[in-house]
Amino acid sequence: MGKVVYAAAMSHVLFPDYYGKNVGPHGRRMVEELIAVVREMGRDMVAARPDALVVIADDHLNVFSFDAIPAMCVRIGRSVQRMVQEDAIEFDQALDGLPLRYLLHEDLANRILEEGMEAGFDFAASWSAPLDHAFLSPVSTLCDTQPVPPLVPFWVNCFVSPQPTARRCYAAGRHIARVVGDGPWRVAVIATGGLSHFPELSLARVGTSDAAFDRRLIALMEKGDHETLCALTTKELDLTGSHEYLNWLVLMGAVGAARARVRFFGEMGRVDLAAVEWATA
Amino acid sequence: MSRYEVNVLLYRLKKDSAFRRRFRDDAHGALSGAELTDEEREAFVTWDTLRLNELGGSLHLLISIPGLGEH
Repeated sequence: MGKVVYAAAMSHVLFPDYYGKNVGPHGRRMVEELIAVVREMGRDMVAARPDALVVIADDHLNVFSFDAIPAMCVRIGRSVQRMVQEDAIEFDQALDGLPLRYLLHEDLANRILEEGMEAGFDFAASWSAPLDHAFLSPVSTLCDTQPVPPLVPFWVNCFVSPQPTARRCYAAGRHIARVVGDGPWRVAVIATGGLSHFPELSLARVGTSDAAFDRRLIALMEKGDHETLCALTTKELDLTGSHEYLNWLVLMGAVGAARARVRFFGEMGRVDLAAVEWATA
Repeated sequence: MSRYEVNVLLYRLKKDSAFRRRFRDDAHGALSGAELTDEEREAFVTWDTLRLNELGGSLHLLISIPGLGEH
């Protein structure tokens, strides 16, 4: 019987130069502290000996265009490439030194997709979508010098309305947990992104966050109050710049009724940074 | 408001370096075949990113176009 052996969520722009430039020394220091915590968390993840690493993250319109945006998408196939783009935005340039190709856990990805269709989840499938910083910054920081486990990348449409609801994302996570439970593998699951930044996806509001809302989310996660989190509306998530919290909701569905252990929370002003773990016993 | 047209153009500016060069050299010419309102066209030509965002242009596209995306 399979098992989720490690579960965590974390902010995904793990690039000190970006914050140094856009926020200043305070921003740089804060993300460096977060990176150190994520590396520690990675040691726990590696010690759990996962056969596969499911990564729940979003697309920053690097992969999917306005021609078709899947609500949720499973990356299938044998391997996946790192996104390569000439003159990419700073935090994707930070991926430049990383390996170009990563193994996928083809069997687990296929089961999540195929059993999802049978269970009423109309996931999209991609054989070619590459991975940007939302996936590879956390994965490379967690794994550090250790080999990256075979990946199952899972995209959630966080940015192009209409997005899936919080409750639907949580239900997708419950589905992932069922597939893992029915399979033979030890599986690590992470969600990335957040916390509050880019409220209303408004260029005029870039540089602001909603720390009060994030403190509320942290308290609810620590309490394990998933019902209240599932009731968050798309409008609330948009107004507070919590679009990427949808990824976290998928993860919370995968871990079930566990309480979160907050490893890092920092209010930067431009974005609030966090790293959180869940017990998977 | 043609949100689709605005975002298709922003996506092309992000991904297609030849189109991006053409747009920088001659924005009117680069946009000649695009189905934009006058207001949208003006926002592109003057590269008014706040206005493009208000007109439905994706924030993540606007901030990630090489050489044009600032945030």
